[in-house]
Amino acid sequence: MSVVEYASHRRVRLVSLAAVTALAVGVVATVAFDIPLDRIFTAGYVARSMEMAAPISLAAIGGLYAEKSGVFNIGLEGFMIFGAFFAAVGTYFAGGGGAVHAWAGIVFATALTTVLAVLFAVLLIRYKADQIVAGLGVWFIGLGLAPFTASIIWGSRNSPRMPGVGRLTVPGLSEIPYLGRIVFDQSPLVWLTALVAVGSWVFLYRTNYGYWIQAAGENPEALDTAGIDVNRVRYATVIFSGAMAGLGGAVLLAHSSSFIGTGQTMVDGRGWLGIVAYLFGNYNPLGAAAAALLFGGVDMLQGQLQTLNIDLSAKLLGLLPYIVVIVVLTGWGKTRVPASVGEPYETEE
Amino acid sequence: MSATDESGARSLLDRVSDRLLDATVLERFGIALASILTAILLGLLMVAAAGYNPIIFLNNLIVGAVGSERVLARTLRISTFFIVTGVAVAVAFRAGVFNIGVQGQFVVGGLACAMSILWAAPYLPSGSLGGVGLMLIGTVAAAVSGGLYGAFPGVLKAYADANEIITTIMLNFIAIGVVSWLITNPFREAGSTNVQTEPLPANVGLPPIVFGESGFSVVGLVLTLALVAVVAVVMTRTRFGYDMMTSGYQASAAVYSGVDAKRNVVATMSFSGAVAGLASALFVIMYQGRFLEPASIHTYGYDAIAVSLLAANNPLAVVPAGLLFGGLNSSTSYIQIYSDVPVQLIDGIVGIVILFVAVPELFRMAANRATTGGEDE
Repeated sequence: MSVVEYASHRRVRLVSLAAVTALAVGVVATVAFDIPLDRIFTAGYVARSMEMAAPISLAAIGGLYAEKSGVFNIGLEGFMIFGAFFAAVGTYFAGGGGAVHAWAGIVFATALTTVLAVLFAVLLIRYKADQIVAGLGVWFIGLGLAPFTASIIWGSRNSPRMPGVGRLTVPGLSEIPYLGRIVFDQSPLVWLTALVAVGSWVFLYRTNYGYWIQAAGENPEALDTAGIDVNRVRYATVIFSGAMAGLGGAVLLAHSSSFIGTGQTMVDGRGWLGIVAYLFGNYNPLGAAAAALLFGGVDMLQGQLQTLNIDLSAKLLGLLPYIVVIVVLTGWGKTRVPASVGEPYETEE
Repeated sequence: MSATDESGARSLLDRVSDRLLDATVLERFGIALASILTAILLGLLMVAAAGYNPIIFLNNLIVGAVGSERVLARTLRISTFFIVTGVAVAVAFRAGVFNIGVQGQFVVGGLACAMSILWAAPYLPSGSLGGVGLMLIGTVAAAVSGGLYGAFPGVLKAYADANEIITTIMLNFIAIGVVSWLITNPFREAGSTNVQTEPLPANVGLPPIVFGESGFSVVGLVLTLALVAVVAVVMTRTRFGYDMMTSGYQASAAVYSGVDAKRNVVATMSFSGAVAGLASALFVIMYQGRFLEPASIHTYGYDAIAVSLLAANNPLAVVPAGLLFGGLNSSTSYIQIYSDVPVQLIDGIVGIVILFVAVPELFRMAANRATTGGEDE
């Protein structure tokens, strides 16, 4: 099957699922609750859904690179927690006042999570750690140490209010009804995410490096025979996945008002949503981004329904993304996992 | 070959394999010990880096776990919850099924326990006999509902290929949200400002032996150890347990020997979830006397993963690992009162323990280097 065929096959499935979901929600909404749909799917709602989807997409793209190359990075959630926390720390110590400081925080967070990802990659690849257990360890470390350090810095598990990065507004074009707000009056980080999604698709399917990554996961012996160091490829993808999850966490912070370290922290399962997004998108960066948009949309639905005074508990509505994940995994669980995921590779010398 | 030769060879073989087994048991023990010590050491370094005195922190850690009778009762109480949830995780991990959903199964089981006792109470006599009846009802309700909540992701994994790590984590979030909503709304104690159910009737509860009204009963500890023994026997001495364990070690061998792999996954998850339910029955009956906001309950189900891994997923070894975690957790209340060090550090240490347990190779290499005298041997 060629790449194009493959992608279009995938697209049909994705579009059909999105259509079915939207139809079901629409029918339930109009029939059961008498909700005016045009007041739900406003331009602001779609734009906010994209903001919510950006962190999930970034984590998903990182995770799929690692898994494509044969390493299951289950620590995405933990790296996102570190990313969000480091971004808050970076922004705070840079001055904490404006968009410049927010950008500084994002750069700082990505750099620091990259360092952590290097350590994680060494444990996974050089010391052949159990990938699932080690990934869970990263999550728990994030859940513990981020609030711990936050308490030391701010005297509370939550940070003070943080500046955002604002919006990228194109004069004139942003006046276009509906589309103007969504496309030309959008967070620059959404643009960055779109760029990463397209770029990583091109890299994975259109360059030699991309083929090496796929071969490292499907047939590492063949790649080794061709003279490419399998473990070096895997180091690169695992470090990339940690960096992207960290960037995702930083983007999440930039789209929120402050770091929240109570309970499951502000990341609140978005790293896990990232894993499901790339499974749903069948390891295709564009598919993963589309799936993330679905989760972002479901996540934002809660606030949208509340503005319409629809009497459904916020607590129960907040569970929607998790329910969607289970439905998606059940209906679309049979994705083709790369052949040698989870197996450490030993060079034959 | 004569009979004596054969028996000689046999005993030699036995001795060699015994020694190998000893080696791996010893090695596992060493890895567990090294993991926990390194993690605590790192924790102390962080305490020092944050500007606090690590010696005082270490002292608080110990005094807060075993320093007085009251504190010891708390440590033992928390340990029983860690031991039972740890066994729940061990059952699943042994069978190669990653049940990360023990927390959700615990929460669902706890609510079922409290509500079934409250509903059944008017129909049973108010004496101690009625109390025992109510506790049995609550325990069965907790085990069944925890088991069903575990069976669900088991079915999804077996028949729809849905990754159980992710579904169980999602089901944890869902359980906490739904149970929290239920306790906030229909099941809330009448007229209470707290998010909690009505208190259980006075005849429900374990007798306070030795430790008085501390929320810990020696009966609870005895029941916990009995459960550990039962699970260990089921795992090693029954067909059901044997099938589960072989599936964990070598799935293809299990299938070849006639195990229905799909049904086995569902059975494992149900069993694991039922044990998690039993943990919450103990939590409700021995300690809380009602059920409360699940988001405020300690994450026993998550820490249980560390407990089980530290015990190499062996139900018997879960007992010392659970005691260790009980002590660690018990001291957080002490540290919260008597020191300024944020207690989230303990959660971080738990995470570091898990990370180290995942990398036995790290300690193996370190041990090799130490025994061969380093680089310049």
